[in-house]
Amino acid sequence: MREKRTRRKIDAAEKNEMLWGYAFVAPTIIGLIILNFYPVINTIWQSLCKTGDFGRGNTFVGIKNYQAVLTAGETWHSLWNTIKYALIEVPFGVAIALVLAVFLTKKLKGTSAFRTIFFLPMVCAPAAVAMVWKWLYNQQFGLLNNIFHTNIAWISDPKIAWISIAIIGVWSIIGYNMVLFISGLQEIPGDYYEAAEIDGASGIRQFFNITVPLLSPTTFFIVQTRVIGALTVFDLMFMVMDTTNVALQNVQSIVYLFYTYAFTNGNKGYGAALVMVLVVFIMLVTRIMQTAEKKLVYHA
Amino acid sequence: MKMKRFAALLLAALMVLSLAACGSSSTSSQPSGSAEVNLDGDFTATELRVAIWDNNQRAGLQQIADEWTETSGVKVNVEVIDWGNYWTLLEAGANGGDLPDVFWMHSNTAQMYMENDLLLNLDPYIAADANVNLDNYYEGIVDLFTRSDGIHFAVPKDHDTNALLYNKAIFDQYNVAYPEDTWTYEDMYEAAKAIYEASDGNIYGVAMNTNNNQDSWYNFVYSYGAQVITDDHKGTTIGSEEGKNAMEMVRKLLTVGAPQSVVAETGTDSLFMSGKVAMIMQGSYMINAYYTADNHEDYYWAMLPYADVNGNGTCEKEERYTAYNGLGWAAAFNTKDPNAAYSLISAFCCEAGQIKQSELGVTMGGMPGVSEAFASAFPGMDISAFIRIEEEGSLFFRPYTRNTTIWEDKLTQSGGFLDAWQDPSDPELMRTACDNAQKIIEDAIAAE
Repeated sequence: MREKRTRRKIDAAEKNEMLWGYAFVAPTIIGLIILNFYPVINTIWQSLCKTGDFGRGNTFVGIKNYQAVLTAGETWHSLWNTIKYALIEVPFGVAIALVLAVFLTKKLKGTSAFRTIFFLPMVCAPAAVAMVWKWLYNQQFGLLNNIFHTNIAWISDPKIAWISIAIIGVWSIIGYNMVLFISGLQEIPGDYYEAAEIDGASGIRQFFNITVPLLSPTTFFIVQTRVIGALTVFDLMFMVMDTTNVALQNVQSIVYLFYTYAFTNGNKGYGAALVMVLVVFIMLVTRIMQTAEKKLVYHA
Repeated sequence: MKMKRFAALLLAALMVLSLAACGSSSTSSQPSGSAEVNLDGDFTATELRVAIWDNNQRAGLQQIADEWTETSGVKVNVEVIDWGNYWTLLEAGANGGDLPDVFWMHSNTAQMYMENDLLLNLDPYIAADANVNLDNYYEGIVDLFTRSDGIHFAVPKDHDTNALLYNKAIFDQYNVAYPEDTWTYEDMYEAAKAIYEASDGNIYGVAMNTNNNQDSWYNFVYSYGAQVITDDHKGTTIGSEEGKNAMEMVRKLLTVGAPQSVVAETGTDSLFMSGKVAMIMQGSYMINAYYTADNHEDYYWAMLPYADVNGNGTCEKEERYTAYNGLGWAAAFNTKDPNAAYSLISAFCCEAGQIKQSELGVTMGGMPGVSEAFASAFPGMDISAFIRIEEEGSLFFRPYTRNTTIWEDKLTQSGGFLDAWQDPSDPELMRTACDNAQKIIEDAIAAE
């Protein structure tokens, strides 16, 4: 780097300030390097290796792991399972949260109580949430089957298990989405609604012509983060479904498959390759969404 | 700009450092037995971390450990981690050099841990310990924890066998004769069927998950004359005609048993305890759970049935098989205080500790002759079936290879036995599953 610009000498005070600046960002940067960058690089490296037991004796095998991952039917099946999960969790999670947010920003009695109630699932540990749902869904002794006098294998019937799991996902995320929507709603100036009211626009008309477009940046943010979140789902399936569950194959997400290979079977190389495939897929999806943003999001 | 370059350099240096740091932690640095062996107290550690996976045994083991603490002054903290997560955590601990000080080893993974020097070489300590002589323990279990170069890495903790558990109340209700020592698997099927049909399918005759191998379907396979893993640990005969006959019997039982969708959601033990199932096969390590259950007065143990392969109507020794397995107490290669760790292992495994373990009803012992107390540790419940089968039947050591978990898990899932379990009405599915199982095990062994 050759700079033509004449360099001004840094005086002692500025230098001091700079050093302090670096000192203050150092913890974050060191944390990022150790906890994020190093694992990323290591994962890429491992995906090119036949890994030995306990992380020892890795031998470089090139793209062999990738070939194995990409030719396994299991990989694509799990990817499809993950997409199916996202297709339920994201739209329903967003739509229900939006409706709730609109109601809870109205001047009604008890809104803060309801806001708390809807946000509660977010506060609970995902493992606890999963355990409670597991018992609700239990075929023999579950509350659902007992109340409705049915005998449905909610989480063991391959045809419906993925929906049951996605319902837990929607239930858990509504509160979080709702809070984001509420803050988005509060930023829409009241003038628009007043003007619309004077012009005689109905509540529903106001919702679709004012709220939806003006809220679209928030909506987009939620959709984007939730899509990524849904594509990396793991804990729900892991906690709710036993490994001998007949429906597991139709539900297990790609991260679940990664966990099985990398941690249960101890095949870190294959697991790393699997997760790299997921990373590329998420990058593609994000790229598509970024393009869509320019067309769909209304910037006032 | 200098500053930026400096920062970049610094970052690069840090990166290398962190790489190096991680590198060094994952290569082994076995303290090569140079640490002085001294088992007479004066331990440097103040606390030992002990990891196990069976909550039923925690209280009893903690009691033995506490007695050791009184003389050694070292606190013992027993952590229970469920079976599935135990191995994940242990492996993560092995990678990061943060293993518990003392923990259980199992046939599934022992070889891998021994080959990678993750366990403490116990030989110098055993040599210095008058209370432990490996010749006194069950040979199969000692062998399991002996590496090919003859080094011992764990001391046998216990051994277990299997028996048939039945709910007398259910047999009474449907007027079906109780299980007896003369039962064949065919008799077991008839009884299960009678109960299942008389209750209109409300009560299942049996319950078996695909992952109930050691306590359930493995025993069928050996009794019918096949082997899940052959004696040299290099093959299997599960796909043979004998293996298929055994699994055909399992299939028949499943037609009058709890469906897979049920057992995958609710454990077979919970189903049994809630009166939904008439019979299950269980290991001796589970007795305590049933002994302390609400309806324990209805629960009775019988010997595992036999397979009348030669059709002469009596049970030959090799027609009634039970799996047996033994855990070992091992210590981490890098435990802070190997002397204290071994001393605790010795407290668990010496004859006095083993007898105490039997008396407390924790498990049967890892050496012959200490388990009599176990049979009387459960007043009011006759558990002699577990001990009788050792005399009247044959024992096979729980099948294992270098990395057992891989094929064992695959067998429980779709592509293994799961499809046949899910639809037991079709005999062809079970035959195909046996062929698949043969291939799964052979492939896994080839990849080891």
